[in-house]
Amino acid sequence: MEFSKFLNSSSKLNIILIISFSISVNSFILFPNVNNAFYILFHLTLIYIIFYHYHYYLYVVALIYGILFDILLLNNIGAHLITFLSLLIFFLLLRKFLIRLSSYQIIFIYFITLISLLLIEQILSNLIHNYKFNISSFFNFFLISLIIFIPSIFFFTKLDK
Amino acid sequence: MAPKFQIKVFHLSRFIKNFTIISVVTLSFLLVFFSKTDYYIINGVKNISSSVIIPITRFITAPINVFSNFIDEYNQFRSLKFENKILQEEIIRLKKWQTLAIQNSRENKVLKKLLNATDNNLTLIKTASLINRNDTIYSKLINLNAGYEDKIKKNMSAINERGVIGKIIDTTAKNSRVILLTDPNLSISVKSISDEIFSLLTGNGDGKYLVSSFVKENKMPRLGDIVVTSGTAQIFPVDLLVGKVAKVEKNRFFVLPFVDFANIDYVQIVTSK
Repeated sequence: MEFSKFLNSSSKLNIILIISFSISVNSFILFPNVNNAFYILFHLTLIYIIFYHYHYYLYVVALIYGILFDILLLNNIGAHLITFLSLLIFFLLLRKFLIRLSSYQIIFIYFITLISLLLIEQILSNLIHNYKFNISSFFNFFLISLIIFIPSIFFFTKLDK
Repeated sequence: MAPKFQIKVFHLSRFIKNFTIISVVTLSFLLVFFSKTDYYIINGVKNISSSVIIPITRFITAPINVFSNFIDEYNQFRSLKFENKILQEEIIRLKKWQTLAIQNSRENKVLKKLLNATDNNLTLIKTASLINRNDTIYSKLINLNAGYEDKIKKNMSAINERGVIGKIIDTTAKNSRVILLTDPNLSISVKSISDEIFSLLTGNGDGKYLVSSFVKENKMPRLGDIVVTSGTAQIFPVDLLVGKVAKVEKNRFFVLPFVDFANIDYVQIVTSK
């Protein structure tokens, strides 16, 4: 607990990013949904950091994680890198509009952004890397997103006090 | 003096901010552009990810690995009694077959001597164990604990006692990466045991079946036919077991691989002689 006082919420969120990245790129045969859940948690955390802790260092973070996700999960650079950077650029363009929204509207946009990210990644991996668009896998992602979305938001707001 | 200094700092931070954003976007564009070609920068990035990032991620996920292994061992322990019964029955059955196999083996040796035949077309490079796997989301890849220091090179074949697992796609000094047969981006040229049907198989994307992407002269196999590597693409050695035909459609067929991809512990890296 003493150690956690030295870390600000942005650092804590970055630690969550590292942990969820590590778990999502190491497959567990007995628990494949653990990989999927942490893969979604990574996206949730990244969107949260961009929405509430925007800073230009996030471009470097997005670049590093995008490359690593692409190499470890797709063996080629493309889908994740493009998606993460596009998210940052879209946020930069729409920031003025997002500030005016109520908290419920932001949460709704947060969820839509998450699903869009997962969908765009699947589409790009199909277009660039020749991995078929898997509806059952996307449906699985959607279900897991529904389950972990509210607890994650609650956890993040607790972290942010 | 103070306001001027503040304005300079403000401009400098804005410059750094814009420079970072522009350089990151440009670098990403270049990386995506060059990733399809075999540039050494991309290979360097891939090497760093397998030799540095994978050990770090493995360290972070160690508690989950321990838990997963514990659950696996508990499940195995639970099924011990049942497996013991099955094994006892199998021992009795195998003893009968053993006598017959010894007779056949002797006969085989004698016939081979008569024909002056050599049937071992494989050179074993290294037996490596699995470090980690990335086969849940998107691609089907595994990482091994042997690299070019062990004379492993790109495009060498990875097999185990059941048949073909995949091929090497990246090597570092101490690690190498194998793309599994079930990955949609790997093609393997196969034939039926009777040498009648030649085809190309790729992963179906579901991680279970292989599907034919090309069938020579549209000759379709029968259900249950065994397919082996044809060796025509000169990547996989000839006559390695691949799988069994599980489903035949009008223009394509599905093959169930012999290898149980969920239970790979050791992999043999081989080339043809």
